[in-house]
Amino acid sequence: MSNPLSDFLRDYLTVGIFGSLGFVLVGLLLFIAWLIRPDRRQAQKYIAYESGVDPIGDMWSQTQVRYYIFALLFVMFDVEAVFIFPWATQLEVFGWFGLVEMTLFILILLLGLVYAWRKGVLKWA
Amino acid sequence: MLSLFAQLLPGPFTAPTIDWLALGPEIVVLALFVVLVLLDSIKLERATAFMPAVANLGFILALIPIIVLAADGGDRVLFGGSYVVDSMALILKALFVLSAYVVVLLSTNYLAEGDYWESEFYSLLACSVLGMLVMASSRDLVGIFVALELLSIPAYMLAGWRKGDVRSNEAGLKYYLMGVFASAVLLYGMSLIYGVGGSTRLDVIAARLVEVGSEGIPVITLAILLTLVGFAFKVSAVPFHVWAPDTYEGAPTPVTAFLAVASKAAGFVALIQIVFFCFIVRGDIIQPVFFVLAVLSMTVGNLIALRQTNVVRMLAYSGIAQAGFMLAPFVVADELPVQSRQAVVIYLVIYAAMNLGAFAVVIAVARKTRSAEIDSFGGLFTYMPGLAVALTLFLASLIGIPPLGGWYAKFSVFSVLIEAETPLGLATAIVMAINTAIAAYYYLKVAKAMWFDDAPDGDVTPVPVPASLNAAVVLSLVVTFVLGVLPGLITNVTEYGPLAVGGP
Repeated sequence: MSNPLSDFLRDYLTVGIFGSLGFVLVGLLLFIAWLIRPDRRQAQKYIAYESGVDPIGDMWSQTQVRYYIFALLFVMFDVEAVFIFPWATQLEVFGWFGLVEMTLFILILLLGLVYAWRKGVLKWA
Repeated sequence: MLSLFAQLLPGPFTAPTIDWLALGPEIVVLALFVVLVLLDSIKLERATAFMPAVANLGFILALIPIIVLAADGGDRVLFGGSYVVDSMALILKALFVLSAYVVVLLSTNYLAEGDYWESEFYSLLACSVLGMLVMASSRDLVGIFVALELLSIPAYMLAGWRKGDVRSNEAGLKYYLMGVFASAVLLYGMSLIYGVGGSTRLDVIAARLVEVGSEGIPVITLAILLTLVGFAFKVSAVPFHVWAPDTYEGAPTPVTAFLAVASKAAGFVALIQIVFFCFIVRGDIIQPVFFVLAVLSMTVGNLIALRQTNVVRMLAYSGIAQAGFMLAPFVVADELPVQSRQAVVIYLVIYAAMNLGAFAVVIAVARKTRSAEIDSFGGLFTYMPGLAVALTLFLASLIGIPPLGGWYAKFSVFSVLIEAETPLGLATAIVMAINTAIAAYYYLKVAKAMWFDDAPDGDVTPVPVPASLNAAVVLSLVVTFVLGVLPGLITNVTEYGPLAVGGP
């Protein structure tokens, strides 16, 4: 078929077929397992699986809320890296134009770090 | 498929030639953002005293390139047609920058007197305005989406600015969750459009939509519907309006003014771009969608507004109804593209002036009464006559009484609906006429409280109104009046400018 629109829609058909295949496969495996497995209930089997070690303490563990600052700062550098890597591989192609653009981009992101540092959020206190 | 990969392979690279003047407003506002953050980082608390002045100066400076571009005339097309600076974009950019200027005037005392973070407020405001400026020129799906996120994300934070107040937290959270949900729906619609159109540029997609004709109607309908629903959330059109009243009531009032005017206008600008430069070729799909959105918005918004006892909540519901009026010209978008686009832009500009003015008076009065209940406006005329007269004029303009601006806005919408002579357009005009009459009741209820009722507790000592608030009221009043008497100031630009000959 030469019509791009039909091709576009056919691509969705592929996604649909593969998606339903996944559901069918998982369902089939679970069904077969249910058919052939023996059913012997024991209290030990209901404990959370910790690679063979008996679990200690509560499952509910809390994380220090201050980590969110580091998560945010991580995102800042992460996004920076996402843009820098493809640019770095094409450094010679983009030349001076690319260099100036990337410097501007890094400077604007750096502003965020300067702000965070001056506002004292980097101190663990 | 092979040709697609061939396009993606890096060929010899030439740096794009950039028309720096055309990007002038954006560059000034970006520089303002950088300066504000730097000032805040260097000076810390000592910066708060001159932050609002710097912000105001920055927004005024951003007007200079806009005026230069307007005087220069002519369309400027950048980045291969995905960024266009024409007369409509310039009018909208001026609208955004001036709205931001007024919002800074409204916020100055509000922030200083409450226990709020001040410096960040202005930098986030500048960031949001930058998104709006980009939106006014984007003719590309990616550009529109990036602009939408750039203007929304700071607004989510601004809505929750009163950190200690549960209602403000609720406002911010609701706005954020609804906004993210809308973005997700919008993105899905856009991805389908990209699949059909094979490009992110609106003009290319429009040509492709014409080319495929009646083929693939279900997927095109779904794509257009999802995209429009995403924007309907942003402009708080019924039935996607539920977040608006709670957010407007809980957010700090200057932020509410910003959301109700600039943010809503930006949503409409996005709709204008995507409808008039792309979806317009499928009038059969968009006509019924906009008919339902417009009629539901004006009717439901007005009926709920009748029952409100809080002015800010009333203005929120009236804003929903006014959004319905602004959606009305879209119903005849494919019949009369130039006139209906003009009607929407005119309505946006005039609505911004009168609504900002109304919020300015509400903020000024709340400094005395510490509430925004309609009862608390009782007897306002006896002790602060200037504010009472100003608010009455703004409300009269919102109703649409000549010679105020609101009258001309409604008139232009009516005339385009009737000129189009389509059944849906005429039906919209009739519903709109009924709703205009209903709206008069709740606007006049506030006016009645001010002029005829007694002040609550008999307290009639006036409070001093800060100069910045006075300036905001006067500025809005002047614009409301001038545009009512001389609407030609906008229509001339849109009629004889490139807007008239442009279009798809």
